[in-house]
Amino acid sequence: MTPWQQSIQTKLTVSFIVLILVISGLTFVFTYGETKSALKETTQDELKALAVIIATQIDGDAMAAFQPGDEEMAEFIAIRDQLDTIRSSNPEILYLYTMRSVGDTVEFVVDADYGIDDGAAIGDLYDEAGSDLLAGFTAPSADSEFTTDQWGTVLSGYAPIKDSAGAVVGLVGVDMDSSRVIDRQDFIGNTIFVVIGIAILVAGGFIALFSRTIIRDIKKLNETANAISMGNTDVSVDVERKDEIGELAESFGRMVASLKIMMMDPEDGTK
Amino acid sequence: MSQLSDEVLKVSLQYLGPAAERFLERQTKSHLNGLAFTDLQKSHIPDLATWVRTSASLIIDKKKAEELATRITRMG
Repeated sequence: MTPWQQSIQTKLTVSFIVLILVISGLTFVFTYGETKSALKETTQDELKALAVIIATQIDGDAMAAFQPGDEEMAEFIAIRDQLDTIRSSNPEILYLYTMRSVGDTVEFVVDADYGIDDGAAIGDLYDEAGSDLLAGFTAPSADSEFTTDQWGTVLSGYAPIKDSAGAVVGLVGVDMDSSRVIDRQDFIGNTIFVVIGIAILVAGGFIALFSRTIIRDIKKLNETANAISMGNTDVSVDVERKDEIGELAESFGRMVASLKIMMMDPEDGTK
Repeated sequence: MSQLSDEVLKVSLQYLGPAAERFLERQTKSHLNGLAFTDLQKSHIPDLATWVRTSASLIIDKKKAEELATRITRMG
């Protein structure tokens, strides 16, 4: 009996498993990577679109007039409550605020969290404005990567706010918690993982079945050959296949038949 | 060898291998009144097929023996 490490069945099974794992691994890495970036792009587009819609609803004239200390003004409270209402109806929004550019700096104007949570007041500077945020003063934009600041790690969308004359007076920022995006990516990743896992199991089952039938028939031929080599001609080749192993079995059967004929007729060694 | 003998041999080789001629020779000699296989005529085919069916089934699978006998019968 052939040791299991050297058997064709072991070699076939291991080779197929390695092949499947390599292909599945590459498929997972590629698909997951592509899906991840596509999902981020979709989220960025959603944030931009949301920022544009919110920007059109904000009173730009009132916002342009706010000065530090105006937080108790009815116009300020109206815009803050409006932002808070929008945020409450969109659970994926973590922070919602307006900003304006003052010289080389960027400052908060209306923060949905002002007076409710630890929100920024009018004129509070934001020192970590990147190019994506600054681009939001001229056209809708979104962070190309997650940004981390004192409020956490977020992905943000921005859109310019205009006054009644059409002049840009600031921007609205919409922050989505990174965990929301990561949760979406994880969901896709897990789905791909499960699908590939099921595919591996099904492929593994087929391989096991396929290699078992091949090896079973090879074993039968081997046993028949062994019996004949030990002088036992009372054997038959009962392997019926339409493939190369079937052809081998047929050839082998003819050989066995000829041996039997010659062994049954001992008085004539030639014919 | 007659053309008929040659055709029977060709078919039998596919089932019995290189000893097919020896097998057929034995069948005609033992069961067809000592006939030499090379002198086989169409009139001998039914009897030969019957004996091939019986004797070949001792050597190869019964289904295969039946198949060989049928093919020989068709040559008659």
